[in-house]
Amino acid sequence: MRSFSFAIRDTVRLIRRSPGISGLTFLTVLVVFFFVGCSFLLALNTRHVISVVEGELVVQAYLQPKADLEGLAKKVEKMPHVRGVRPISPEQALELLKARLGNQSAAVTLLGENPLPASLEVRVDKASSVSGIARELVSMPEVEDVVYAGKVAEKLARLSRFAEIFSLFLLVFAGLAGALVLYNTIRVAIYSRKQEIEVMLLVGAMPGFVALPFVLLGLFWGLTGTLAASAVLGFLYKSFVNSVQNTLPFIQLVDSPQLYLKLALILIGGGVSLSWLCSWIAVERHISEAMKPS
Amino acid sequence: MEIRMSGVTKTFGEDITALEDVFLSVPKGDFVYLVGPTGSGKTTLLRILNRELLPSRGQVLVGEYNLRKLRRTKVCQYRRAIGMVFQDYRLLEDRTALENVAFVLEAVGAPRKEALDRAGEVLDCVGMWRRRFLYPRELSGGEQQRVSIARAIANDPLLLLCDEPTGNLDPQTAGEIMQVLLSINASGTTLIMATHNRYLVDAYRQRVVELKMGRIVRDQERGRYDFDEEL
Ligand SMILES: Nc1ncnc2c1ncn2[C@@H]1O[C@H](COP(=O)(O)OP(=O)(O)OP(=O)(O)O)[C@@H](O)[C@H]1O
Ligand SMILES: [Mg+2]
Repeated sequence: MRSFSFAIRDTVRLIRRSPGISGLTFLTVLVVFFFVGCSFLLALNTRHVISVVEGELVVQAYLQPKADLEGLAKKVEKMPHVRGVRPISPEQALELLKARLGNQSAAVTLLGENPLPASLEVRVDKASSVSGIARELVSMPEVEDVVYAGKVAEKLARLSRFAEIFSLFLLVFAGLAGALVLYNTIRVAIYSRKQEIEVMLLVGAMPGFVALPFVLLGLFWGLTGTLAASAVLGFLYKSFVNSVQNTLPFIQLVDSPQLYLKLALILIGGGVSLSWLCSWIAVERHISEAMKPS
Repeated sequence: MEIRMSGVTKTFGEDITALEDVFLSVPKGDFVYLVGPTGSGKTTLLRILNRELLPSRGQVLVGEYNLRKLRRTKVCQYRRAIGMVFQDYRLLEDRTALENVAFVLEAVGAPRKEALDRAGEVLDCVGMWRRRFLYPRELSGGEQQRVSIARAIANDPLLLLCDEPTGNLDPQTAGEIMQVLLSINASGTTLIMATHNRYLVDAYRQRVVELKMGRIVRDQERGRYDFDEEL
């Protein structure tokens, strides 16, 4: 513990000695982890949207103009994997549309004669049955077309795979950049204290004791940088979510207190581990070099 | 601590032989002057004992430590047990005399307050108490030298290696430092002192080991600086 307070005094000394490098390191860690956080949020949101869409166990079957709505509903209800069928007449469809449009519902009257087809809303027991049911429905002569979420989900999944590869790439790149900067910051700090380290080792200070201030220095930058990154990202994301909710209310973004906590934990955890690793490697390499007798 | 060097040779590169086939045995509590002309290998020998250098050939045993095969933690342990006064002082420029001494005590685990107290004490021993808040650049060569001596003796080493500890001191101060070293030796610390100070060696007669071109050419109990037939 007492060596800890000695190390902390030393760390403060190191930070104050080179304010330029300190600022640069802080900024780099902030920016790097800001991007890491962005890619995390991106991946999280695409996944969220996909799971919402995939979870919709409803197939919408639009019927030919002269089809027998009730009769077909009874027939479909008896099919395996079908949980329930709700027939929707063109009139009902129009009402639903009006309800969805809310205060703009007056526009509907511009359509003149109701152009909407009758449809069946078929609820299916589980996600894996959706496409089978859809295929069966579309093969019926009375059915004009089917629409189901799976189609959309497939497209989204392709998009999300792309997004995930992209964020992984970003993650690796950002990680490397952050590691490089942290490693070099520690190297510079070590270099500025070369003589001191040498003397400490010559009088028998333990390597861990000699290394501690430098590791703490790295951890300090890892921690402050990622704290700032979490705060900035959290704030920006919250404002983004708010503005999306106001303008595009049908887009559901992930937004919960747990999300912000998770985001902060991931960034800080990542930053601390990365900085610990980098500073430890840098200082360890220097110490083994310095202790090697010639 | 007891020292046994057998067949120690140290070469640098292809053609510099700093030490050649050195056999030296120093019992616990001994006081040894290491003399010899410039470049004869005195510093090299001390640096081998400090484990800054590894011998190219030969064995070095100090106490229970075999300096050829020491693991890293053992090296630290060993260096805590010994003290070294460097020929070039090796003080830290950005710390005061007091902090220079205290920091090695802290580096080996002493609490700050204790380290500062002890540092003040040893600085007093070498006559540097009144200059304890000055930085190395504000001290004369001899004063820096005394700080480096204080640092070496601060944690009561079992073996004290001194490389020209009086090189920059006037005879009066050198005599005072010598008294300090002798009293440390009297308390049981084995002491090896490389020196060119003819006056001290002749005034405080101890065992003298003379090196010439890396070889031991004389090893005499209660010797003089120059070879002395009468003994
Ligand atoms: N690191 C090194 N690389 C190459 N040669 C070295 C090295 N260290 C010492 N030497 C050589 O080894 C020889 C012995 O040097 P050493 O420093 O041991 O002499 P010394 O007896 O301490 O001399 P002085 O009385 O001047 O301090 C010298 O010729 C020196 O040039
Ligand atoms: Mg020398």
